[in-house]
Amino acid sequence: MAAALVGVFGVAGALLRFAIDSWFAHRTSRPGTAGTPRHWPWATLVVNVTGCLIIGLSIGITGRLGLAPEWQTAVATGFAGGLTTFSSWTTATVRLLSESRFGAAALNVGVNLGAGFTAAAIGIALAS
Amino acid sequence: MPDWRAWLAVAVGGLAGTELRYGLGLAFPDTAAAVPWTTLGINVAGSFVLAALTTVWIARPHTAFWVRAGLGPGLLGSFTTFSAVIFSIDHLARAAEHPVWLVYLGMSLLLGLGAAAAGWRTGRLVADRLAS
Repeated sequence: MAAALVGVFGVAGALLRFAIDSWFAHRTSRPGTAGTPRHWPWATLVVNVTGCLIIGLSIGITGRLGLAPEWQTAVATGFAGGLTTFSSWTTATVRLLSESRFGAAALNVGVNLGAGFTAAAIGIALAS
Repeated sequence: MPDWRAWLAVAVGGLAGTELRYGLGLAFPDTAAAVPWTTLGINVAGSFVLAALTTVWIARPHTAFWVRAGLGPGLLGSFTTFSAVIFSIDHLARAAEHPVWLVYLGMSLLLGLGAAAAGWRTGRLVADRLAS
């Protein structure tokens, strides 16, 4: 039961992340007036921060609604785990480093961590 | 927007990646007040493979989009997790386990970025060999 729920929620998280990825890719590939904007992993930042908020909320919400513990696992491990990604974050950072964009790479590491911790803390505070 | 094959590949990859991460967590449960080694290993391994695939795909842009979507954002994106790292560190910090969360954060950054850098180089070597 728990494994099936985690799977369904994981697929939902992955599809939402792919939708956000595609939306950002579509937006930045549009011809701009000031030339093509340089890539920066905005989509990964959005999904990671949103997922941190959701995992923070998940601990309190499921308890408050009186749901079985497998729903918390489904939301935290399945949905938030599927929505957020660590590998895209590290790969994008290495890609920026390979282009000698050291400031952009440092910003990618710092902003994901800073905004992620803030979002998780907000989620926990809202749910408790 | 990508076509239906890409969405289907992401769904299948996402299911496999999520279940693999969940299954590894059941087989090797992370213990409270300690570094979550299982999550760390998942994230380090996933960083290596995604970076290697990314460089191979940069060199071989003809790879079908649905294949790239299913393996990258689908399988590896769902296998690795950022929210669990942040949540564990927050949890350890609230429990005043300061050496533990500092070690975990440091190792996640060093090993995660190191694995991605190693994967990036490996992928380039593979792409060069495929080209010759």
